[in-house]
Amino acid sequence: MRPGLPCPRLLSDVATRDTTITIVGSGGDGVVTLGDLIAQVAAHEGLHVIKTEAYGPQIRGGESSCTVRIAAEEIHSQGAAVDVLVVFGWSDFARFRGEISIAPGALILSESSEEQPCAEDLGHIGGDSLRWVPVAFSELSRASSGTPGSKNVVALGILGGLLGLPADKLRRVMARRFGRKRAAVLEANTRAFEAGHEFAASRAGTLDAGRLDYLPGTPRLLLSGNEAAAIGALHAGCRFFAGYPITPSSEILHFLTEWMPRAGGVFLQTEDELAAIGAVIGASFAGVKAMTATSGPGLSLMTEMLGLASMAEVPVVIIDVQRGGPSTGNPTKSEQADLLQCLFGTHGDAPRVVLACSDVEGCFHATVEAFNISEEFQIPVLVLSDQAVGQRKETISAAALKHEVIDRRKPTEDELEKYERYRDTPNGVSPMSVPGMKRGMYQTNGLEHGEDGRPSSLYLTHESMNAKRYRKMWPIRDRYHGFQRFGPARAEVGVLCWGSSAGPVQEAVAAANARGESVAAFVPQTLYPFPKHQFQEFLAGVDEILIVELSYTAQFYKYLRTFMDLPQGRTHVFKRSGGKDLTGDEVAEQIEKVRGAMARQEAAR
Amino acid sequence: MSTATDLPAFQPADYKSDLKPVWCAGCGDFGALAALHRAMAKLQLAPWDTVVVSGIGCSSRLPGYVETFGFNGVHGRALTLASGVKLARPELNVIAVGGDGDGIAIGGNHFLHAARRNLDVSYFMMDNEIYGLTKGQAAPTTPAGDKTKSTYWGNPEPSVDPCELAISFGATWVGRGFSGDPKTLVDLMVRAMQHKGFAFLNVMSPCVTWRGDDQFKILKAKLAFLPPDHDPTDRAAALRYTRETDLLTTGVLYEVRQPSLVERMQEVHKKAAEVGGLATTADIIAALAPPL
Repeated sequence: MRPGLPCPRLLSDVATRDTTITIVGSGGDGVVTLGDLIAQVAAHEGLHVIKTEAYGPQIRGGESSCTVRIAAEEIHSQGAAVDVLVVFGWSDFARFRGEISIAPGALILSESSEEQPCAEDLGHIGGDSLRWVPVAFSELSRASSGTPGSKNVVALGILGGLLGLPADKLRRVMARRFGRKRAAVLEANTRAFEAGHEFAASRAGTLDAGRLDYLPGTPRLLLSGNEAAAIGALHAGCRFFAGYPITPSSEILHFLTEWMPRAGGVFLQTEDELAAIGAVIGASFAGVKAMTATSGPGLSLMTEMLGLASMAEVPVVIIDVQRGGPSTGNPTKSEQADLLQCLFGTHGDAPRVVLACSDVEGCFHATVEAFNISEEFQIPVLVLSDQAVGQRKETISAAALKHEVIDRRKPTEDELEKYERYRDTPNGVSPMSVPGMKRGMYQTNGLEHGEDGRPSSLYLTHESMNAKRYRKMWPIRDRYHGFQRFGPARAEVGVLCWGSSAGPVQEAVAAANARGESVAAFVPQTLYPFPKHQFQEFLAGVDEILIVELSYTAQFYKYLRTFMDLPQGRTHVFKRSGGKDLTGDEVAEQIEKVRGAMARQEAAR
Repeated sequence: MSTATDLPAFQPADYKSDLKPVWCAGCGDFGALAALHRAMAKLQLAPWDTVVVSGIGCSSRLPGYVETFGFNGVHGRALTLASGVKLARPELNVIAVGGDGDGIAIGGNHFLHAARRNLDVSYFMMDNEIYGLTKGQAAPTTPAGDKTKSTYWGNPEPSVDPCELAISFGATWVGRGFSGDPKTLVDLMVRAMQHKGFAFLNVMSPCVTWRGDDQFKILKAKLAFLPPDHDPTDRAAALRYTRETDLLTTGVLYEVRQPSLVERMQEVHKKAAEVGGLATTADIIAALAPPL
């Protein structure tokens, strides 16, 4: 179901091409395993999938939920409302109050031994259209497998039948998941699966409403944004990773502890984020492409040495997978409020480049691009991801994981003749030698220095070296002005956003365009240096501007204001705290508000 | 260790850069620097295969005065830079230098972990028991009771012994030298650089400006050497020569051979290679999406 106007939508009585399934239960219920298996089979069928998870604060156990959106056409965000809800326990559901909204006409499969809540308790807006399907999950599990622990597999059988996913593939993913355990475990689960499958067949009339209408295609790759970023790093030739675990970025570290050594590179879990960025600078100084990944609190610790990388002009890549802040904040939830820290978090004037990723595939490309820019221009590059894209799993085409790779330029013989590490050049980039080069020896430092790298406290040196370091920004802007643009060239409403907001915005714009409304969107992917010319062109083609972001203090809006005046009276800002992902419906509602205001003005005239 | 055996022998002066040290006249760091030049010549280190890293402080200016690759980083983080350089390019000779404040106060955590990991670097700590660069405040090595710019009423805190820390942290080579005894110091630096694993050398390096110009005399009077029967593999014996007040015992206090971090990383690479060699992006994709 694509997001459209925020009016009641009814699940079609025939089949759907876009459905959102949410499973809620306790830690031990296997909620995430169930979502994983469904997502894997759908991806293998060539369907488009986005899968997200949500947890309570407990390390293990406690409530958990998993949402899988499956569609026959491309999707760009998590479903705004749930079409199929599976509930193993209503007390767990209650802990996600305000975070799960149920579509009118939704199918609700809930544990029949529990008392059902009334529709109002579900925060539901569609009247009495819900289709209740009580299922004795525990009892079916016990009767088939001998334990209530297989109720997620019973649900797999039911959901497989309901969605119309091929049973043989479901059995095979299950065998892959449980095959490594004792044979008895797989056998028990197989019986549980068949019990669920039979249940679905017996309720065919009711469950038909959830059937997916699609033709199987080429299998798609199911990846998280964090995994895609890690693959991007390896693709770019990164052979040194140092990092300190922090939610929600740790999957990058988990991926690279296995794969970096297989690629012949070094993986180091450091004692803290200070050591991580220090080791990365050291490795890059030694000539090896290097990266670290963290979240907001870790980035704060890295800020001093981010300045060292700027000053010593050492290429480094830092991925910041944003979470709710400040301080410990909301570690498992997304927010877009590290923006100003990334752009301006510095003592002194410290040049850096900031890139953003708005989906899983974007995490791959932004990371490769970050290496390309940092290696060519000897500058730290920050990649701003967030929990919403970093931890969600999304289907992409394996063919999309391609990106040109640029390597660091070695000094020429001429440059080594009378080598100067920080020689002033027209584009600000100096020849960088690495240890082992006999004629390229130099001593660098975080002190201001002259072209030969020797410390200098002269005002004139400081001024000219600041100019040299910032001069790189022009060629970077010329070459890397990444942005996305949705909708027509001329539009009444122009939406501006960045990062993970792009998906919901793209869907809302497409839905508006489909209704004949004149809406477009601009999404910068290079945040600094900003693609100013392309942005100004976009501004010239729209009447009203709507800025959308998940930052309580509207950091993106404020950032734009630092370098340009936005049209007064025609600029609208929709901002709120993170903690709940942005949805297409939410954006659609804001677009309607702007259009309504325009219509009223028109009428008044 | 990378040495330049195919070339004419390097003299100590070859390791000297043309930059004039910023240190005060009479500073102990001059002795440590001269000893380092001589130790490098003794080992015939190829200058271009050698990296000297540091943090911030008087002694952290040292990389600029050595004609090798050098990196004078930020306060307390010398060992983090050293970790990156050494692990990325294990064939390089990596030497970390700095002061007691840099290594024990602000950078103490990295000291602990570099030692624990047995990181293959030599770490020379020039210990003057004070903050010199910021003009005379107390360091973690400043004796209790001492008056400094930041301890108006006398230092209310007890001090630590860097060698005791290094031994407890798991360093596999721990020595103490004195910049007023260059002969022993050169020998200690050579042995530290020859050690496979984390070698920590505490160099008592008097600050004549903020600790008084009689520091050399005071330390010289305390100077002692380890007895010939000292067993450097005996941890308990090594610890007996720490926290000394009336003596300054120099020599190799502790020395054991354990797998170094580079060696352990090589083990990791061997295991990874057994599973699946070089990973191209296509290899990774194939492994992530096995046929169903």
